[in-house]
Amino acid sequence: MHDIELNGLTKSFGDLLAVDDVSALARSGEVTALLGPNGAGKTTTLRMLLGLVAPSSGAATLGGRRYAELSDPVCQVGAVLEASGYHPGRTALDHLRILTTAAGLPRDAPSRVLAETELAADARRRVGEFSLGMRQRLGLASAMLGDPGVLVLDEPTNGLDPPGVRWLRGYVRRLADEGRTVLLSSHALSEVELIADHVLVLAHGRLLRSSSLAALRAEAGVGSMVRTPHQDRLCAALDAADLPYRRTDEGLAVDATPEQVGELAGQHGIVLHGLVGTADLEQAFFRLIQESDPVEHPLVAEGVSS
Amino acid sequence: MKALLHAEILKLLSTRTTAGLLLATLGLVALSVVANVPKVGDGEAPFSLDDPGLLAYVVAICFGVPPVLVVLYGTLAFTQEFRYGTITSTYLGEPRRSRVLVAKWLALFLASAVVTTATLALSVPFSSALIRSRDGDVTFAGHFWGVVAIGFVVLAAYGVIGVAIGALVRNQVAAVVGVIVWMTAIEFTVIPSFPDVGRWMPLGATSSLFQIGPSLGLDGNLLSVPVAGLVLLAYTAAAVALALHITPKRDVL
Repeated sequence: MHDIELNGLTKSFGDLLAVDDVSALARSGEVTALLGPNGAGKTTTLRMLLGLVAPSSGAATLGGRRYAELSDPVCQVGAVLEASGYHPGRTALDHLRILTTAAGLPRDAPSRVLAETELAADARRRVGEFSLGMRQRLGLASAMLGDPGVLVLDEPTNGLDPPGVRWLRGYVRRLADEGRTVLLSSHALSEVELIADHVLVLAHGRLLRSSSLAALRAEAGVGSMVRTPHQDRLCAALDAADLPYRRTDEGLAVDATPEQVGELAGQHGIVLHGLVGTADLEQAFFRLIQESDPVEHPLVAEGVSS
Repeated sequence: MKALLHAEILKLLSTRTTAGLLLATLGLVALSVVANVPKVGDGEAPFSLDDPGLLAYVVAICFGVPPVLVVLYGTLAFTQEFRYGTITSTYLGEPRRSRVLVAKWLALFLASAVVTTATLALSVPFSSALIRSRDGDVTFAGHFWGVVAIGFVVLAAYGVIGVAIGALVRNQVAAVVGVIVWMTAIEFTVIPSFPDVGRWMPLGATSSLFQIGPSLGLDGNLLSVPVAGLVLLAYTAAAVALALHITPKRDVL
């Protein structure tokens, strides 16, 4: 199985710098999530990896070789880049037969992947009649035709209903557990946090963070959401204890564990109407992205210029 | 290459476009036969019912529309890949894009042979029957076999040009509208209005290759067959060279 390596990958479209000097590694046997908001450069990065877009500089390799240099690429890399990659007038079976024929794969490959993706009963239906979830499955079936060691998925959960997302998670996790390299992109951490081992956070074309999900979770810490009729008194206590907080519509969002907040309230005799722990991972993700956004910090920009 | 060619043929056969193209061809060929076999006593027809060149003339006329359909077919063979996003899986399966282009050209070469055969299979017996029913002479001699051979060559060239257009103009609507406007409005206007210029245009050269029709208003201004053949070859070669030069460099977004 191959590792995926991005080395100083850069792509400009005219004046627009879509991907800026991205270097990262996705290891075999792991699910690596490429995370970032829309327009972060995720798709362009994946397309450069797959030889569909030429990098302005840098290189993307699979097992040390560029995609175009791979012999039998379909047997080494499977990719799902868009849910619309099908002729609507073609049956699912014909779609897979075409890919199988072009790649010189065994004739039984389509039936194998259709069974794996639970589409066997719909093999002779035209893809135009498929739901988005079925198209995503067909995309995965196409990607798995050559039984590749590397899987590249662009926003695979887009448009899937909850059972579809659950199925996809299980399928992708199983592929990684078999030792394959899985690189998938998403704009929402919540969609991948149950399956990803490693995260690459991308915003404005730049790689902001490359770390294991466990490390990101530890770094993000745990917060609390507090409701109290004595908000000003609790704020004063939090200030005195040097615990950061934000006033929100739901109450006070405190950067501390529920135990810390509960004990502090008890010490000051403050009645609480609600105290829940909040997993701060998603907020940490957004904070990371917002901190990289120059538009969000005009004062910083002014300070620099002055 | 054999596997790629087989895959391209499967692509052509797995949608309704091919059947639609064949039906449209046969329908227009039938109309051409009906419109161009002269009636008894029609003194204004270019060929009379007892002229030995009549069959060759009618069959040549029947090749007036298929080039437009074949070039559109070739164009669609590529633009549909961009329209529906299948170009991604095509290029992932074969990253050497020039090989994909060659496979599509070969597939369209074969498809054009099928369209030519269908054109002949309908036009020859239908024309013969109509001519005989009007007590005319059906002769397979003379220019007839030249028309048959040129039919195969011309449609093959248009298929290749169509694929190149589809590779270069990836927007399907723009490509299809552009081809239709060029081959009908522009060529059909320029050729009769400015025959000295028009005979060097693709359809002008095609008309010159057949010599006896469709003339498109080029009477007396036709190029010689060898020159017309070279002109059509030059258009085909230019389209091929441009597609081979540009396609591998383009980003697929």
